Amino acid sequence: MKLISTLIGTGLRGTGLAAGCVLGLIAGSQALAQDYPSKDLDWTIAFGPGGGNDIMARTLIDIIQKYDLYGQDIRAENRAGGSGAVGWGYVYSKAGSGYDITTTSGSLITTPLQADTPWKASDFVPLALLATDDLAIMVSGNSEWDTIEEFIESAKETPPTLAGTGTVNVDFIVPTLFAEKAGFEFEYVSFNSMADMQTALLSGAVDAMVGNPGEIVGLVESGDMKALIYSGETTPPALGDVPTMDEKGWGVGVSMPRGLILAPDAPQEAVDFWRATVEKIVETPEWEKYIETNLLTENIKYGDDFGIFLKNAQDGFEKVLRAQGAIK
Amino acid sequence: MDLFSDLWMGLSVAISPLNLLYLLIGAMVGMIVGIIPGFGPSAGLAILLPVTFGMDPIGAVMMLAAIYYGAMYGGTITSILLNTPGESATVASTFDGYPLAQNGRAGPALVMQAVASFTGGTVGVILITLLAPAFSHVARNFGPPEYFLLALLGMLTLIVMIGENWKLGVLSALVGFALGTVGVDLETGQSRYTFGFAELIGGIHFIPIAIGLFGLGELYFAFHQGLHRIGSGSIAPYDRKKGFWPDLADWADTKFTLVRGSILGFVVGVIPGAGATIASLMAYSFERSFSKRPKNFGKGEMAGLVAPEAANNAASSGAMIPLLTLGIPGSASTAVLLAAFLLWGMRPGPLFMEQNPEFAWGLIASMYLGNMALLALNIFAIPLFVQIIRVPYRILAPIVLVICTLGTFSVSSSMIEVYLMFTAGIVGFFMRLYGFSPAALVLGLVLGPLAEEALRQTLTISRGSFWIFLERNGSIGIIVTTAVLLVVLPLMQRIGRRAGASKQGSVSEAEDAGV
Amino acid sequence: MRIIFFVVILAAGLMYSYVAFTNLDFLTTTGRLGPGFFPRGIGVLMVVFTLWSMTAELQPSAAEGRSDAGGSAGQVALIMGFGLAYVLSLGLVGGIPATVIFLFITLSVLNRNRLLQNGLVALLVPAAIYVLFDRLLNAAIPEGVLPLPF
Repeated sequence: MKLISTLIGTGLRGTGLAAGCVLGLIAGSQALAQDYPSKDLDWTIAFGPGGGNDIMARTLIDIIQKYDLYGQDIRAENRAGGSGAVGWGYVYSKAGSGYDITTTSGSLITTPLQADTPWKASDFVPLALLATDDLAIMVSGNSEWDTIEEFIESAKETPPTLAGTGTVNVDFIVPTLFAEKAGFEFEYVSFNSMADMQTALLSGAVDAMVGNPGEIVGLVESGDMKALIYSGETTPPALGDVPTMDEKGWGVGVSMPRGLILAPDAPQEAVDFWRATVEKIVETPEWEKYIETNLLTENIKYGDDFGIFLKNAQDGFEKVLRAQGAIK
Repeated sequence: MDLFSDLWMGLSVAISPLNLLYLLIGAMVGMIVGIIPGFGPSAGLAILLPVTFGMDPIGAVMMLAAIYYGAMYGGTITSILLNTPGESATVASTFDGYPLAQNGRAGPALVMQAVASFTGGTVGVILITLLAPAFSHVARNFGPPEYFLLALLGMLTLIVMIGENWKLGVLSALVGFALGTVGVDLETGQSRYTFGFAELIGGIHFIPIAIGLFGLGELYFAFHQGLHRIGSGSIAPYDRKKGFWPDLADWADTKFTLVRGSILGFVVGVIPGAGATIASLMAYSFERSFSKRPKNFGKGEMAGLVAPEAANNAASSGAMIPLLTLGIPGSASTAVLLAAFLLWGMRPGPLFMEQNPEFAWGLIASMYLGNMALLALNIFAIPLFVQIIRVPYRILAPIVLVICTLGTFSVSSSMIEVYLMFTAGIVGFFMRLYGFSPAALVLGLVLGPLAEEALRQTLTISRGSFWIFLERNGSIGIIVTTAVLLVVLPLMQRIGRRAGASKQGSVSEAEDAGV
Repeated sequence: MRIIFFVVILAAGLMYSYVAFTNLDFLTTTGRLGPGFFPRGIGVLMVVFTLWSMTAELQPSAAEGRSDAGGSAGQVALIMGFGLAYVLSLGLVGGIPATVIFLFITLSVLNRNRLLQNGLVALLVPAAIYVLFDRLLNAAIPEGVLPLPF
């Protein structure tokens, strides 16, 4: 992935005169055929290298490069800082441009709630939701609870401790909404990293935890942990025969959105182009492999449907966080 | 045996040509970082971190680890030839290393230090191989209460080991802790000390602070000491042809010293907050009490060079144990190494070796190879490193400043982090000048938030009761260990101090520089 | 000088404590340790330890034998100043040109009368960094706002 971006980078700087001419020619002929794209794409990654957002962005770029879906050069830039505030703030400042694209994650919604950013998630032009990161409630492998019903029953008597990553995060929102619907209470214990949380669960310090399947599947396979319920639409087979919240009638409808957005007020032709492009991307085997290896839930929503999804998530987050006093 | 198959698997990972190349580069860079005075492994690692972004994670971490332990080798070369420790953990090596060189035995001293470093390093890795799985197993029972106590243990040990200036050490740690509280509070999601700046939501980054304190701060301090005025003429002469190799007596005198130094160093290294500097000083003084010729120490006794060298290398291996099995760094340089792991999405801890066997065992196996490579480099490439020593510091210093600056920038392409690094550099200089401890600040910055998080988790779990610390076996074990260490360490410290007493206060100097 | 450094830390400690006591809650609404629990403790301890160290500092016996103004204070200030100018110039002219200028000027002062040597270092080091960072590793180098051919 890095190699590709190096190539893109080198291409951009146009060191060779000949290469520059060729590029110019291609660009020229395409500009005649259609107006978009006629310029290089500036792809903002609002997080540092190596994270989930970065991996998704670079996977997408690799696919676009491989199938030559974007006629021009793509420059991927990690503009990390302030939980996405810096990167998305940059894209926000490019209002009206059709050439500033970025990938989303839960922070697109939560960061504006926490900090005084000039933008919020609904300011951007939603292109497409591609997948969601969903959560499973997990207990230790030697736990007395085997099903979610047993867990809830015992939880109604004594509230269990439940661990998750961070507080202003789906890890907190999902179990909170779920518990509300299922009618039990719990003590939320906030952790900084998945590894610390797993240790805490296995050492018996906490009763349960929530986590992304991609991060816990190894421990489920080794029998160290059991999954009780899953928040996505269909449970990944690797987690075993586990019901989803929707199936049990306790659906929460909130998840970490992994999608694509453009700068505010991006021109319609750019939106149309990207809708067609995304349709091609999600058909590729590379994309399927990405979804598979990262155990994401494929969930494709275009344009306004994605916008509504973001809006719902934003409202859900705000409600829960306000009730908890996490935001004022 | 399981252990062998794990190690074998690790070896097969480490031995790929590309990984071997990274390992060699890491070893070379470690040597160079060790040689440049005031530019220790912490700064070296931090700066090279972004350089590894394009690499495969295993290769990257192998390389960074090689820089970390390679610096222990390089630091001694200047100790012997220039009487200037390249690095705080090699201060004890000047005591007898430089006199040896003055007596015309620079060659044997260099060879013996390489052998001692190799022995220390290799004994250290063998002990890691044997003990790390057992540590992981015990640590699997650790939850937030134990992590809180471990973080506390690390800080207490560090402050006890600072000795005389302990008040300033506490103050340094508090400043680090205060910096660590900046950003979004994990539990409530409330912003703390962000003053409305979005850049601060994610907290103050550790890498720019580490580069500033240990890279720039030390550089300014070296200027203050007048290091840039020293020409290259003061290098002790040595001859590659005549009397370069150690004689039989050197080997015979030091064969037990090697073992003693290595084991002592490893044990001290495992204790969070103790570290290589203290290990080497302690080994020196223990060795003197074992010696038949204690009077000759400080005048060019080979055992006086071999003991601290074996110890500091073994200690740097020992410090990998809490890092790999608990995810708790015991020193500034292992804190940077932890940051590197995190950047790669690896969070060391009790489950780390089990969940990432290729990664963990690849790293361990690479340390065997790395130490071999360093041994060879140290014996056969000495002329090359002497060339680096010959570059006057006044030329080296501006280059180091450039590397610190551009290295910081490339971590996350942020000018704000460059300004932060620069500020940390100035603060770091004054901290060194006035007897504060930059190492304590960095550990406060890393361990402080960890302690806060763990205590809050603990009290949530126990629903507000502190008795939980006495209800869990792990917690009781750590409390007892802490109590024992707090009694034993100051005693050992006193012994170590005696070692340097004859050496015009270089010990307190070393302690200032931290672990 | 030493006392000024303490005063700076004291001021920082007081400001830190002020925010901790006014803005951050000691306990949360649910009775857990709040975001202000640790900061309040840290702030108070910072102030206490600074004052403690300062009183020891102000005793005449302690001040003896410490010569902090000595050494090469001027040289340190010089390299700090050059460093600052360098860091500020990065965003203006870009990483590589700034490095060339910084190295040349600094070396001209530190390593006087060796024009050739200084010139070579000032050109070769940035060139090596450019090749390593930009070409081989794809690591970022600051870009300047002035339109220079880099």
